[in-house]
Amino acid sequence: MSPIGAIKGNWRVLLLGAFLVFAVVALFIPGGIVADDGLASDSVDSGPTNLEFGLGLEGGTRIRVPVAGMTAEDIDTGAVSDDGTVDQERLDGVESTLQSELDLDQADVSVDVQDDGTVTAEVFNDNVSQSEFAAALQTADVDATEDDIRDGVTQSTRDNMIRTIQTKINAAGLSGGTAYESTTVSGDHYIVVEVPNMDADELRTILSERGQVEVVAYYPNENGTQTNETVLRGDDIVDVDPPEQQGEESYAVPVLVSDEAAPGFQQQMNDLGFTSEGIGDCGLRTGDGGVDFDHDGQRYCLLTVVDGEVVDAHSMGNSHGLASSMREGSWENDPTFQMGAPSQQQAQSLSVNLRAGSLRAPLDFSEEQVYSIEPGHADQFKQYSLLIGLLSVLTVSGVVYARYTDTRVALPMIVTAIAEVVILLGFAALIRMPLDLSHVAGFIAVVGTGVDDLVIIADEVMDEGDVSSERVFQSRFRKAFWVIGAAAATTVVALSPLAVLSLGDLRGFAIITILGVFIGVLITRPAYGDILRRLLTDH
Amino acid sequence: MGYFDVPEIDYTRYSNRQLAAVPLAVLAVALLVLSGAFLAYGTPVPLGMDFAGGTELTVQTTTAEGNIGAAFDEQPESVTGTGTENQYIVQFSSTDSQALSDQAEGNLEQDGSAEVVQSVSSTSASFGQNSQQTAMLGLVIAFVGMSAIAFLLFRTFVPSIAIVISAFSDLVIPLAFMRLAGIPLSLGTVAGLLMLIGYSVDSDILLNNHVLRRSGDFYESTHRAMRTGVTMTVTSMVAMLVMGVSAYVFGISLLASIGIILFVGLAADLLNTYMLNLSLLRWYKFEGVRS
Repeated sequence: MSPIGAIKGNWRVLLLGAFLVFAVVALFIPGGIVADDGLASDSVDSGPTNLEFGLGLEGGTRIRVPVAGMTAEDIDTGAVSDDGTVDQERLDGVESTLQSELDLDQADVSVDVQDDGTVTAEVFNDNVSQSEFAAALQTADVDATEDDIRDGVTQSTRDNMIRTIQTKINAAGLSGGTAYESTTVSGDHYIVVEVPNMDADELRTILSERGQVEVVAYYPNENGTQTNETVLRGDDIVDVDPPEQQGEESYAVPVLVSDEAAPGFQQQMNDLGFTSEGIGDCGLRTGDGGVDFDHDGQRYCLLTVVDGEVVDAHSMGNSHGLASSMREGSWENDPTFQMGAPSQQQAQSLSVNLRAGSLRAPLDFSEEQVYSIEPGHADQFKQYSLLIGLLSVLTVSGVVYARYTDTRVALPMIVTAIAEVVILLGFAALIRMPLDLSHVAGFIAVVGTGVDDLVIIADEVMDEGDVSSERVFQSRFRKAFWVIGAAAATTVVALSPLAVLSLGDLRGFAIITILGVFIGVLITRPAYGDILRRLLTDH
Repeated sequence: MGYFDVPEIDYTRYSNRQLAAVPLAVLAVALLVLSGAFLAYGTPVPLGMDFAGGTELTVQTTTAEGNIGAAFDEQPESVTGTGTENQYIVQFSSTDSQALSDQAEGNLEQDGSAEVVQSVSSTSASFGQNSQQTAMLGLVIAFVGMSAIAFLLFRTFVPSIAIVISAFSDLVIPLAFMRLAGIPLSLGTVAGLLMLIGYSVDSDILLNNHVLRRSGDFYESTHRAMRTGVTMTVTSMVAMLVMGVSAYVFGISLLASIGIILFVGLAADLLNTYMLNLSLLRWYKFEGVRS
């Protein structure tokens, strides 16, 4: 047989071989087929293979949680005119009416123009009822009834929150954490956050902090009584540097104030006396890093407030010429200053909150779904699933051998079924699919369906005695393939809803099984036919 | 050939009615169990945590199994040991997973340096409700899709409907088994049921194909289809049993439930394919075609 003829005659087996080599390279050669993309690099070097493992086999926490709040869509505020210009003052007016009517914080109300030009009002607080919300809208001269209000928040709010959460978990120094949205069949939206190597309590703490940072001026007013006034909000800060240590129990986060907010802030500091009599006059810090408001006389402090809690109190210093540059009015040209925090940890979280921005709406943890597993326990699962997989393959091999007793038939059958799993594993390593328990179930199902189909081929081909000629073999093989194709089609159809619908962890199971069916029908099963033909027609 | 061989059944001894009676009776009993349970409990099968809401903790503790319940403010629904020493799975109907893990950490004896709470999984009732709808929708789509393919493949009513009826029965019998054995419906069992829709029709397709698309005697074709089909189904059943039992021992409930459901479903499939489907096919072949 000429070399070309040999290739032509065995192309199915050669294709299987090529796929196997490809899979083994993807599995075991460090770096795999595609170069590292950096993000996953630290999890790759943890094992002998390039396989990536999901939460269930690696350890970590996943929280699925809806956003608390309700929305009135497409309300008629009269703020958007037909030519698309927006009357921002009117929107702010509606927002502040809602805020005072419903007795909410500024952050819990939002009135915004959406991309399509409609105006949407959102309330991020589950203690407000829909009728109260509607009544407050009426008070703000917006014609809205309870029917116009639905539970949940807008897509842009969710997108914004997912970005914020993603920044927060990345900043917490945890690689591989992700935040994404999932939608149920009935149209409920959930935010899903997955973080490896973190327990549920820690993750819940990160997610339940809104992270609203404010700078509050604490100063004596004309009557001499101490007053609080918010002078900067998180949104006013456009750039944040990593925290610096400034002395014992004193850390600072250098920030850059936006060009829009800087002149106002400077003016307020001058008006309130922070840059004159108030310089260096705070002294509310207690020795252990707390803030004590029990004092005599007049004090001028800039309070760092996170989610309504005072973290630190600082005076306006003049060491870097801050107070004098403010007084002269030149500060607004380079509007940087330092926000204080008493500990490294608080400085770090302040910097994260400033960088990520605040969470637009709180999450409703009473509706949460949590899955959390210790790394050690997950590792146990990994070993057990390997063992269960091996046991299943052994069992199948045993049954197949017991059925045929002919090694020529049974051995290639088992080897082919295993090859199918190896190719699938290689594929999973290639696309960096994080494997979970449900994928393991999928792999075992692939061995099962794979062997079933090989049994069909073997029985069909060996039917009515030995295969005498190439032509007889081909015709029998084609007949067998009709059944295999039909069976594959039903399996794919039965599992495709799972691959598309988001039903817990089962997507992986469905995807692996469907992929396995395709690899089986297109690559491994035809190759098994070829192997069988050679073994049976040669003698 | 082989240590086991598929026995040749002399179908000529039984009438179609006799053959169909057995699987239909089993199906009727299964439907009765499910509808009775629906009337008595509100759901045909017991709903697991994934669908009803609740919390499951895996704890590692030297506290005796009998005293674990006392560590929590709320009495656990169940405490079961896993294959690992001193490791238990504790289930609650409460969804306050934070309080429950705090109580576990506070009141259970630590086993060496291992964390007490090894894993937490909690689902709120409303989320479970959502999952129920999704699962239901998934099952319906899968079943309708499979039926459509059956009709496309054979393009004649009786053989196609035979596949659909036997697949329906393949689903209903394991569901009734779950009710009787007290296995709750979980994501794993739903995956098993979906897999069953795809898996169990293979043998029906094989049988129909041999009988309808091949020349030759009905009984000869049937026997050949059975030899292949029974080998397939038995191989899968054994694999699933091994997976189910070993996963149960190791405490991996997802794999355990998929394994057990497929085992029971495939056993039901043997009955349905070679008695129900076969009797319908024989009727179609010998009487239906002429009429």
